[in-house]
Amino acid sequence: MSELDKAIEQLRACRPIPEPQVRELCHKARELLIEEGNVVGVDAPVTICGDIHGQFHDLMELFRVGGDVPDTNYLFMGDFVDRGFYSLESFLLLLCLKVRYPDRITLIRGNHESRQITTVYGFYDECLRKYGSANVWRYCCEVFDYLALGALVTGAASNLPPSSAPFADPATAANMASDTSDVEIEILNSAGQITNRFPRQRRSPHQPQQQAPQPNSQPSSSSQDADVDDAPPPDSQATLSPSPSQSQGTNQLPSQTGAPGTSASSGARSQNDGGAILCVHGGLSPLIDTLDKIRLLDRKQEVPHEGAMCDLLWSDPDEIDGWGLSPRGAGFLFGSDIVKCFNHKNGLSMVARAHQLVMEGFKEMFEAEVVTVWSAPNYCYRCGNVAAILELGEDGSGGGYVPKSNGDVGRSLGLGGWEGPVNGEMRRMGGPGRRYRVFEAAPQDSRGMPAKKPVADYFL
Amino acid sequence: MNLRNSVESEKDSQGLQVLPLEADHSFIQPAKRIHDGEDVSFFLSSKAYTDLTTFLLQLNASMFPRRDKSSAHVHSWEIGTQNVEYSAANKQLKKLINQLETFIEEAPPDTGPRRFGNISFRKWYNLVEERVSDLIDQYVPVSVLDFTTKDNPVTTAKDELRAYLLGGFGSAQRLDYGTGHELSFLAFLGCIWKLGGFPKAEAGIEERGIVLGVIEPYLKLIRRLILTYTLEPAGTHGVWGLDDHSFVPYIFGSAQLSPAITDGARVPQEGSRPDAPDPSDVAKAAAVERERVNNMYFSAIGFIYDVKKGPFWEHSPMLFDISGIRAGWAKINKGMIKMYNAEVLSKFPVVQHFPFGSLFQWEKDPLATPVKFSVHTSTQPSQKREAGSTTSQPIEAGPLGGTKAPGASSGGPAVASTTRFQGREPPLRNLQEPPTRAPWATPTSTNRMPPSTGTAAPWARPRTEQQPDNATAPSGAPWADK
Repeated sequence: MSELDKAIEQLRACRPIPEPQVRELCHKARELLIEEGNVVGVDAPVTICGDIHGQFHDLMELFRVGGDVPDTNYLFMGDFVDRGFYSLESFLLLLCLKVRYPDRITLIRGNHESRQITTVYGFYDECLRKYGSANVWRYCCEVFDYLALGALVTGAASNLPPSSAPFADPATAANMASDTSDVEIEILNSAGQITNRFPRQRRSPHQPQQQAPQPNSQPSSSSQDADVDDAPPPDSQATLSPSPSQSQGTNQLPSQTGAPGTSASSGARSQNDGGAILCVHGGLSPLIDTLDKIRLLDRKQEVPHEGAMCDLLWSDPDEIDGWGLSPRGAGFLFGSDIVKCFNHKNGLSMVARAHQLVMEGFKEMFEAEVVTVWSAPNYCYRCGNVAAILELGEDGSGGGYVPKSNGDVGRSLGLGGWEGPVNGEMRRMGGPGRRYRVFEAAPQDSRGMPAKKPVADYFL
Repeated sequence: MNLRNSVESEKDSQGLQVLPLEADHSFIQPAKRIHDGEDVSFFLSSKAYTDLTTFLLQLNASMFPRRDKSSAHVHSWEIGTQNVEYSAANKQLKKLINQLETFIEEAPPDTGPRRFGNISFRKWYNLVEERVSDLIDQYVPVSVLDFTTKDNPVTTAKDELRAYLLGGFGSAQRLDYGTGHELSFLAFLGCIWKLGGFPKAEAGIEERGIVLGVIEPYLKLIRRLILTYTLEPAGTHGVWGLDDHSFVPYIFGSAQLSPAITDGARVPQEGSRPDAPDPSDVAKAAAVERERVNNMYFSAIGFIYDVKKGPFWEHSPMLFDISGIRAGWAKINKGMIKMYNAEVLSKFPVVQHFPFGSLFQWEKDPLATPVKFSVHTSTQPSQKREAGSTTSQPIEAGPLGGTKAPGASSGGPAVASTTRFQGREPPLRNLQEPPTRAPWATPTSTNRMPPSTGTAAPWARPRTEQQPDNATAPSGAPWADK
């Protein structure tokens, strides 16, 4: 067994590896990462993950639910560290896996992968506590500077391949199982059972929507009231069929949340995929209108306080028009028009991002032009949210033409990303088939208490 | 005495000066003054800082058990104790808190889909804003509101009170709550004190009334707000902060469990009340359940148990470490005050929102010792330093620089020490804002704000109050029209 495999084994047991080994690991990782572009190309199938924030045991649960590396191809969208108790173990494990299986795991940078942020939000403190010096923190920060800023997933299937997974509730199976040929979205619980399935629909968004099946057994608080009964609560009904009236208010919270928040029945999509999926930690930047502009950035530095690189890691989508100031003090808010325009211009079907806690683990917005994926269940031990990962399947040949856009300007023209103006609006087709696996926090009973309590300096 | 000079100062019986009634006083509409790290340094040598810390230490000292000089009988000050007599002023302020709590019924949490924080908190907050004027008229002593001023003042005592009271209940914009808001409420009480709103009494009597009769009910209200509207904890440091939202209950609660003092005597540096629970009891759920009704420290810990799942040592390692202290609750009290100074009062992200008027003045305190401050006074660690160096030289505040390494000051444990607050400091740590906000961030007071978000940028500076004009220039960079 190689040193690296030993390190992986040790880290999987949630035990930090010695400082010299961290140093070596970080060195190797940098050599590897420096070869990657700012936007890493990733082929489907891939499983996309959001924030981890040092929740090591939940990361193990993620691997249990999503499959292990290298069996599953993973893409982590940053924020590995800070706030949780095990940022060190989590990040080092992911880094070891990256070095060991470079083609099976992609790591991109989150806003917390920064010197300044980690000194504020915990990772620095954690390294000091666990090693007695900041050396390991420094090694890790050097790796942060080399992490890619985004990833471009190509070759994703437009429809999910028929799944043999059982239904969580046989009653729903009757509603959902009828048509497996054209599944756009499937939601599974941590036991691998289907809790919800949405066929791709081909209606105009302005037509009245048929009520899609309600999730009935998703392990989240809100799904409990969204039962299969014929009278779903008003809020979940609303989330399933966004109507023109609902999209008026810009002060409203984004109306689509998690399981009931998928855009499956929005009708804006029809069969056949229309492009790649851009993955970034935060979102878009007013300084970036093409993927090439990301590619041209000099990323090997601390995350700046402003500018394109900063925005990619800090921005959030919001129910506004255009751009808005972010209450975070960094990055911007961007509205659906911005995303639609960006996706169209770059031949993208979707932007996948993380960065914001969502109670249901994932949230599709703007007719699924943007999805937020959040992978830290019961965030900070108290938020009560579930986590999710997003699986994109490989285009299985039979399914129709899937253009492999690399997102270059102009490359998407004529590829069917947009149907053209309809009722004065641009409508587009496509979008990858999306399988969300939703999971809860790992059980906590087996964790041993540390033997000694270091005394904080204020109390010496 | 104040924190600046050290918590070990011998003189602690002075108390916050009450303004002389006969003097004409000009009130000033409180305004934010702290815009960058340098301003934090100035704040730490300001009159406002002196007054805030004097008031805090005065309240703290009052919560130590008292031994009668004659009978040697020890009085302790549990939550709900019969030993404390509440003045009319105290009782009225408690009613104010109760009144605010009733507004929750009028603003039930929204049941619709949401990302995290509940937007109905904005309704609750709007109710407070609408009614704050009447509330102050009703519950703040008339003598305070009528405090002598020059003829036809533009600004009144009420204007100052309103600013601090409204600042005490979290951010309606971000749907979060933190120690900066707690500090604002403390200042509200400090204003009333300075304006003679609390009756003159022997040292400690009114102070105890304030802590147990007003602050503890305030903390209960805050906990209810947090639970009702899921005010976001995200801007905390997760497990690496003391507490997601509060600080003062740890100060007053540890004082409650410290050894008894005789009136006027200096506060002890270590030891515990003989019947005090052991500090390690905080890690025992049953003990916490038992003590939380009596003690403010345990009451705060109990709330953590209510909201957090998982092993205590893992989700609250700081409090867990503190529970290993063997030198008693007085030692913990002393450490908490040091920590409050470093982690709350000296942190840009926390104090940047604090407004200054005539009662908490943005003016240099001539008696203040000069402060040569460190990372935590700045919006970010700025001067490039060799991270992990083992020396503990002071870190200086510097210009905002994107690529600078933050000051990683020492090889010490996670919570770096302070040498009388002027030496080596921990990297800045923001106890306030829940979502990960940029530590450099200043709030953008726009009307249309999204629900709370994740992480705040530590470096954020004041931005213009205007949103970019989205309708006309959908793809324009927001800074383009500056």
